[in-house]
Amino acid sequence: MMTQDAQEAVGDYRYGFHDPESSTIRFDKGLSEQVVRDISELKNEPEWMTDIRIKAYNHFIEREMPTWGNCNSLEGINFDNITYFLRSSDKTEKNWDDVPEDIKRTFDRLGIPEAEQKWLGGVTAQYESEAVYHSIREDLEEQGVIFLDMDSGLKEYPELVKKYFGTVVPHSDNKFSALNTAVWSGGSFIYVPKGVHVEMPVQAYFRINAKNMGQFERTLIIADEGSSLHYVEGCTAPTYSTDSLHSAVVELIAMEGAKIRYSTVQNWSANVYNLVTKRGVAHKNATVEWVDGNIGSKLTMKYPSVLLKGEGAHAEIISVAYAGKGQHQDAGAKVHHLAPNTTSNILSKSISKGGGRSSYRGMLQVTPKADGCRSKVVCDALMLDEDSRSDTYPTMEIGNSTADLEHEASVSKISGDQLFYLMSRGHSEEEAMGLIVNGFFEPFTRELPMEYAVELNRLLELEMEGSIG
Amino acid sequence: MTSYLDASIPTRSEHLWRYTPWSRVHPTKVDELPTVGELVIVSDDLEIKTSFKKSIEHGNDIARIFLDEVVEQTHVLTPGEGISHVQIRAGGHAVAAHIHLEATQTSSVMFHLSGEAEWVGLWLTGNIGSNSHLSVGLINELSSESVLVRTDNWNVERDGDFELATLSLGGQRIKSDIRTTLSGSNSTHKQFIAVHGHGTRHDDHHIEIHHKQPHTNSKLIVNAACDDRSHSVGTGALTIDDKAQHTDAGQVFRNLLLSQSARAEAIPELEVMANEVAAAHGAASAPLDSMQMHYLMSRGLSKEEATAMLVEGFLVDSFVEVRSDSIREAMQTRLTVHLECKLIG
Repeated sequence: MMTQDAQEAVGDYRYGFHDPESSTIRFDKGLSEQVVRDISELKNEPEWMTDIRIKAYNHFIEREMPTWGNCNSLEGINFDNITYFLRSSDKTEKNWDDVPEDIKRTFDRLGIPEAEQKWLGGVTAQYESEAVYHSIREDLEEQGVIFLDMDSGLKEYPELVKKYFGTVVPHSDNKFSALNTAVWSGGSFIYVPKGVHVEMPVQAYFRINAKNMGQFERTLIIADEGSSLHYVEGCTAPTYSTDSLHSAVVELIAMEGAKIRYSTVQNWSANVYNLVTKRGVAHKNATVEWVDGNIGSKLTMKYPSVLLKGEGAHAEIISVAYAGKGQHQDAGAKVHHLAPNTTSNILSKSISKGGGRSSYRGMLQVTPKADGCRSKVVCDALMLDEDSRSDTYPTMEIGNSTADLEHEASVSKISGDQLFYLMSRGHSEEEAMGLIVNGFFEPFTRELPMEYAVELNRLLELEMEGSIG
Repeated sequence: MTSYLDASIPTRSEHLWRYTPWSRVHPTKVDELPTVGELVIVSDDLEIKTSFKKSIEHGNDIARIFLDEVVEQTHVLTPGEGISHVQIRAGGHAVAAHIHLEATQTSSVMFHLSGEAEWVGLWLTGNIGSNSHLSVGLINELSSESVLVRTDNWNVERDGDFELATLSLGGQRIKSDIRTTLSGSNSTHKQFIAVHGHGTRHDDHHIEIHHKQPHTNSKLIVNAACDDRSHSVGTGALTIDDKAQHTDAGQVFRNLLLSQSARAEAIPELEVMANEVAAAHGAASAPLDSMQMHYLMSRGLSKEEATAMLVEGFLVDSFVEVRSDSIREAMQTRLTVHLECKLIG
């Protein structure tokens, strides 16, 4: 049973159930060099990875908290009260029936195997620190597509991991990327060979079940020349009155002419700090797309970024955020135009309700060598009541005279005319508001696979319940 | 009040000092409090009352703390009806002044800032009383070697109307921090800034507009044309308090980049805590439109003339909404002369 405090903290959260914890290995709370070494040893990792972890740990200890974002809220994190590793299953299963019963029950409630049968190219389900279930369609495997959890990726393809690990997000990037590099566990490792197009999306699902748990998954996706991939990620956690930390690092590498789309719908419960570093590199004529939805968490600080490194590369970022009571969605996007004729589009939409705060924090940089760049940034915010807050902090740094950049932002409330029209057609005020909110997020939902879009609309409807009066 | 030598020097992680650190615009070294002379302020149209300066609220901003300590006098202007021209002349090594305007009717004041001083500190404060309308224009024509630190604090009372136009042409390094508070309901503020970057000019404008009461309106237009190796920075902070319902606020930052080595930064920030508002901002950066250049050159203009015409059109556009005819015309005329000298020769 959830405590009274927890219930108040999280409100009506659909995925707030939790199972009795039945871990096979659980580390004590707190972080030290020994904990980092123990994680590495437990996983039987090569020495070079242990060295990277130790280096990152030392950097984490020395590094100040970030100054970009809502940094005051980070003071609430107690790094000594977090469990950095928890193993729930002895091995990663390939057959759904072999997954331990309690974990299977959780993912069944979340609809994972069902979704896989219908429309997924592959799936990984991560419970606490490590993957518990993993599968990939045979035809993809035959084409040479590698889709593994990150731990297995390191075991089976150490050279490939060594070549690319930390090249896009080095451990020294920020305090949380250092923490992730020191204690990472789980996540996905994907390699798509030259010219292979993965038609069906592949999916990972992350679930924190234990209290005061830190989840530090590490995802590395490499799309070789002329290939394409759509990766979808979902996240939930149960509701506790004490806080959990999710601090992932995601690295995408799109080689010449490749295309990676990375879609996330984050629905952590309202006691999770979601501090994620997501960055992609787009080489010549490559495309990196982030489709990023933030519904849950206590504080999200997430700015998916793209380094447009090769001529003609393109970045597309669509980000939506919903900030309810006690939530701060500090989301945004960063695009660095490093090469000529690169283009980018950023669309950010946010809704604040019940005293929630949503912020767009963006960076658009054009370096002197990047001739003929084009970029457009649009931020729209809806405020549903007078207790809420919406901020926009865009930054444009232009070092090239041929760049053509635009930024526009607007903050408004729901239009009275639209409400009146829908209510005159027989909808209640609540339904009418729900319809308008769904329509507001439509540019985002239409980019998601159908099941995710339906799920997102349902989540929004749940969040909108009781928003009148 | 904090004294300057006890105050902590802001780091570059602070938004206000990110692109132009305090050490770059301090007259000597940041741990020094040098002797600073007085700017010469004269006007044929207006009586200037000079008195010993009282301590002014500086809000822990390092530039204001510094000016508060080095400036000894306050020049109080109470403009009457019609336009008043005020000359601010800067000579010597380092000079500064505090000028306070008290608006009680419909009036216009045009400041002409010029001179050869190496360092100029200018603190403008003003109160626009209930039902008063004040238009202020400032043309910066300092020598090409000067450093200018400008801090403004304006307060607009109920039903007050305040417009502020700045034409920034002179000086080597400029750091302006202009803050306006709409403290009375139904008050209005419009601000227009045009910047011409040439040579290695570094021009940093930070504009804060704070809506504290309902039914307040504000508009900000910043147009910067950057040539040669110049660098323009425009940062805006628009805050709408939860009480300030029915606010209408808009900000636009536009950069025209004229050379490969020119740089521009635009950060229009928005913090909205009320829901019954219309708040919008926009930023754009682009080179000269090649179609427009082609059209003008096909009509017989040289490349320099065509460029000058387009840049003039772009910058003059900053002031089209200035309500005071005399301020608008003075700004536009000075701009045209400046561009003809700089771009055509």
